Amino acid sequence: MREALFWISGAAVAFLLTAGAFLMLANSGTGPAEKSLEPGPQRTEQGPNLEMSLDEDRLATLEALPNQSLDVGVENTGDEAVSDVNLTVEVYSENTALSDARYYRRTVEELGAGRSVTVNFALDLAPLVETTTPDTPELPRRIVEIRARTPEGVSAAKTLILPL
Amino acid sequence: MEGHADPGLGPGTLAVSSGPGHKGAPSWAPDGDRIAFITDGYVVDGSVDTDGVRRWTTKDFGAEEAEWTGEDSLAILGGSPAGEPGTPRPLYRGTYEEGSLAVEEVSTGIRAMSADPEAETMIVAFEISPSKTGLAALRSNGEIGRVFTDVIRGVVTGISPSPSGEEAVLAARAGGPEGPYDLHLFDLRTGESRRVVSLGADQQIFGTPQWTEHGIYYVGGESGTSGSEKTALYNLYRVPTDPDEDQLPQPAPGVGREFVAASVQASPNGKRLAVIGRLNPNSPINLYVLGLEAQDLDAVTTNEDMEIKTGPDDLDWSPTGDGVAIVARGVPSGEPVVRGAPAQALLEDFFNVYEVPVSDREMPR
Repeated sequence: MREALFWISGAAVAFLLTAGAFLMLANSGTGPAEKSLEPGPQRTEQGPNLEMSLDEDRLATLEALPNQSLDVGVENTGDEAVSDVNLTVEVYSENTALSDARYYRRTVEELGAGRSVTVNFALDLAPLVETTTPDTPELPRRIVEIRARTPEGVSAAKTLILPL
Repeated sequence: MEGHADPGLGPGTLAVSSGPGHKGAPSWAPDGDRIAFITDGYVVDGSVDTDGVRRWTTKDFGAEEAEWTGEDSLAILGGSPAGEPGTPRPLYRGTYEEGSLAVEEVSTGIRAMSADPEAETMIVAFEISPSKTGLAALRSNGEIGRVFTDVIRGVVTGISPSPSGEEAVLAARAGGPEGPYDLHLFDLRTGESRRVVSLGADQQIFGTPQWTEHGIYYVGGESGTSGSEKTALYNLYRVPTDPDEDQLPQPAPGVGREFVAASVQASPNGKRLAVIGRLNPNSPINLYVLGLEAQDLDAVTTNEDMEIKTGPDDLDWSPTGDGVAIVARGVPSGEPVVRGAPAQALLEDFFNVYEVPVSDREMPR
């Protein structure tokens, strides 16, 4: 009887040791550690980040005339403030053979994390010198390219294509 | 942005250019790496592997067509206000040597040209008088290699040599710029030409007729039909060149009775045709490849909402026949469009050049 108990308890100890060893191996395996899948806070980027927006409802009212109002929204979606955000607007023709272009520039001195600002530009959208050829029978569209950039290199860009 | 696939044209399609500019007339370099094309009247070249393009001419050049005459040289037709096909224009030679581009005028009064970059020669049709055209072979440096004595009575509007370079098909307007169209076969070995067929006064040829192993193929239609976009109702025709056959234009076999052709180019070995057109007047424009032996038509693009350019020069085969360059854009909405990227990175908003893969790479000729 004592001998049987000895063998049973020995087998149980061996089983527990083996199971423990397997558990240790499983925990210290080479597979990737689990990561939390919980999403981070939305729209907040590490460091500064710029996003631009245009009031698309008002774009249809733009005409091929001087003094056309364009509101450009700039938002810092990052978690750090930015300063000296240079906004440039370039108006030029879809016809790349024409070098005529109109430039506009404004600076936003400070834009805190999560803050936004609207900057208005009075654009001259009167016709540039346009020519058509048999290969380009349609009048070239107007390109309005808007860029935001900080001295540290944080940037954003939007392109507005106007069939004026 | 170059090299990005365009989902609007089908899998495997790669962009060669991006951004604003009205592009057209692509020409594939003999090494297969670069494609030259016209942008707003000036000449550039680019590739799917590199960003940006290389400009060969001034922006006010007025180029209409550019073809490679060697690894680093282009023949450029234009340099003057554009006119009807066959209008005499200056011919220029563009070269790229040691990082420097140069363009020089090599001839004037050129009505049409076709370059053979492998042989580093080009065949040009030049004005003798308002109703007569001569043919000459030029070396890639612009020097005259040979002037053929046979004169074409008419205004040559297009030249298409055979893959062997022994023959060329010519389209000519008999008697002058408004005359009826003739098709000629020109033997470049003997210098003798033969008129294959004269079309009726109400018929016209759109673009350059193509030499193939199975006859001459061309896009044609009634005079006065608009050649632009959806209104074009041209058909693809075939004219046998075997003197034993009845040498009258017939609708090309294999494309279907309702097929509407816009532009066509024979493959490097002359056994296939790339055709831009519609299966019927209400279907979208696509690029098709017609196997001339089996008379089978394969759709190469799967276009639903892109506008593929339909000009006669707006497609070009790769030297190995495993791709075709085309020009396309998204259909403009007519409304203001806002994009979240610089203009130079945009594809679908402007006409851009694309490489479209084609199965069955051809053996070198």
